[in-house]
Amino acid sequence: MLKLGVFELTDCGGCALNVLFLYDKLFDLLEFYEIKEFHMASSFKEHGHLDVAIVTGTVSSQRDLEVLKHARNYSNYLIALGTCATHGSVQGAVEGKIRAKLEKVYGTRANPMKALDAKPIVEHVAVDFALPGCPYDKMELYQLLIDIAKGIEPVKKDYPVCIECKLNEYECVLVKKGLPCLGPITLGGCNAVCIRSKLGCIGCRGPLPKEANPTSEFEILKELGYDEEYIRKKFKTFARGELRW
Amino acid sequence: MVILEVGEFTRVEGNGKAEIVIENREVKEVRVKIVEGPRFFELLTLGRYYWDVPDLEARICAICYLAHSFASVLGIEKAFGVKVPEEIQLLRELGLIGEFLESHALHLYLLVAPDLFGYPDAIRMVSKHGELVKEGLTIKSFGNYIREIIGGREIHGINIKPGGFGRYPTADELEKIEKSCDELLRMAKRAVNIFATQDVFGAVPVYHIATDEYLYGEKLIASDGERFDYLEHIEEKTLPYSFAKQSKYKGEIFMVGALSRLMLKADKLTPMAKELFEQHKEKLSQGYVSLNNLAQAIELVYAIERAKEIVSTLLDRGIKGENVPIEPKEGEGIGYVEAPRGVLIHHYKIDGNGNITYSNIITPTALNHALMELSLYEETKKNYGTLDENSLTHRLEETVRAFDPCISCSVHLVRL
Repeated sequence: MLKLGVFELTDCGGCALNVLFLYDKLFDLLEFYEIKEFHMASSFKEHGHLDVAIVTGTVSSQRDLEVLKHARNYSNYLIALGTCATHGSVQGAVEGKIRAKLEKVYGTRANPMKALDAKPIVEHVAVDFALPGCPYDKMELYQLLIDIAKGIEPVKKDYPVCIECKLNEYECVLVKKGLPCLGPITLGGCNAVCIRSKLGCIGCRGPLPKEANPTSEFEILKELGYDEEYIRKKFKTFARGELRW
Repeated sequence: MVILEVGEFTRVEGNGKAEIVIENREVKEVRVKIVEGPRFFELLTLGRYYWDVPDLEARICAICYLAHSFASVLGIEKAFGVKVPEEIQLLRELGLIGEFLESHALHLYLLVAPDLFGYPDAIRMVSKHGELVKEGLTIKSFGNYIREIIGGREIHGINIKPGGFGRYPTADELEKIEKSCDELLRMAKRAVNIFATQDVFGAVPVYHIATDEYLYGEKLIASDGERFDYLEHIEEKTLPYSFAKQSKYKGEIFMVGALSRLMLKADKLTPMAKELFEQHKEKLSQGYVSLNNLAQAIELVYAIERAKEIVSTLLDRGIKGENVPIEPKEGEGIGYVEAPRGVLIHHYKIDGNGNITYSNIITPTALNHALMELSLYEETKKNYGTLDENSLTHRLEETVRAFDPCISCSVHLVRL
């Protein structure tokens, strides 16, 4: 049996919750894994060496940083799970320095709880696998955990949302309806879920590595009449400053 | 002076703990510390175009993302003076029902039930109580199915939009809901029997607060008969030891959530839920926060019955699937929605270009924060010295769990 820990840093809870949404598949995983720590789901906790640590959320406090370091130091494989962990997601996109933000929201610059500016965990430690998505596709996590258990090299996705949109034969909302759709520059793997709702992709899986062409996307949206500030915010929402154009 | 530390809380969503100060064997003070980092959602939405805001707000919480999108959409529509037709209202209510089923089932079967049966988690319960865990997962996945067809996906869907929906559900999808209801109702009734046996613990709130309709509303109502807007009677204060704020109603500690809804709005329940409420009314009226668990079980029955009513109404009429067009204009609006764990408030001001200029969000866990501290205080007082440290810690964790707290939600709750 492999030893598994699930660690939540600051986030919406969805990435940990999505593990429970595996339902029957979760029980299949338990054929290979023993859960040693998963505080959303269990009061059982055994601090010790792990084969696989799943870490969700951004590093947003000193506590988060300590939990992350523990997870890294005591595991063979560390999976950064979800867009918070891989790219910073929406809370990473909040602009400004921590003390100024604390003052605006809590009326004080004091920081007794040691909050930090939200950053993805990949900026703090080396990770073995990074699965983005807000939330990630749960079957992708299932497959990764099975691959690790069986010693198979996992297959990485490397195509944009547009591919899955086409495979589903959805109407292109960018070209046909002029909606701001980030599908062309966003990493696929969600089965084009937003376009299924006849809405534009909001980019929640983060930018497509290497081949993305944000400059061209920026120009297309500008031609459609969206203002630069609007597009800039849209690009930044899930990816902090990673998309350059 | 002894400081007893409880935490971090397990089997709750998010990261929190409690500190209990004991002096000369007397309980002096309890502090519930929300150690989850702050998330600054109000800052995130400032300057954003209204259309994109419900999708951002969904990210506040995964367990109740749809309640956040919905409250956000309501606040925005109110700011623009938009009214949506009954079809859209019913579909949104259906989405929220899906969320109640998903969230209550998670809480009751996976997080609370292990306490009743003496296990650290539901997974370890499976060998002896597999049937029960399976029933919980069945209700939960049914709730998620509804969230998927109405909200766009199980978690963080973007289908709920100002003026209507991106995509409307098909008749086939709705029929699938109708077909499952009777079987699920049997399971939910069993849950009521199980949770009716739980001991009472925690504090008793001075007031209950809820929205005026069962699942959302125009105003808030309180157990003293008041019908009001939140700014009139709810005061928030920041704490030096927590990223969540605390609220009082007319200076007193109050409660929001399933128990409050039942106490204030039992007349709006569906037939079988009303019958079960009457059956357990005497117990529920004692008002202890632990009874929130039983109240949630009764709400499972309500949600399933109501889902069936809504779906059959919509199937009889057929779905038109027309959105209400929106012209942005300057305005201000508040959305009041019942998230599974209680009243959720989204308040916005929007400028003439449709961009957000002010945003305030208050979540149920923040509204319950003061009562949570009082509950831990009273439980410690009752049990300190008689229970050993492990049992006391366990009882305190159970007390926190009864609130079904959502800590991620609670860490960015402010007026700007």
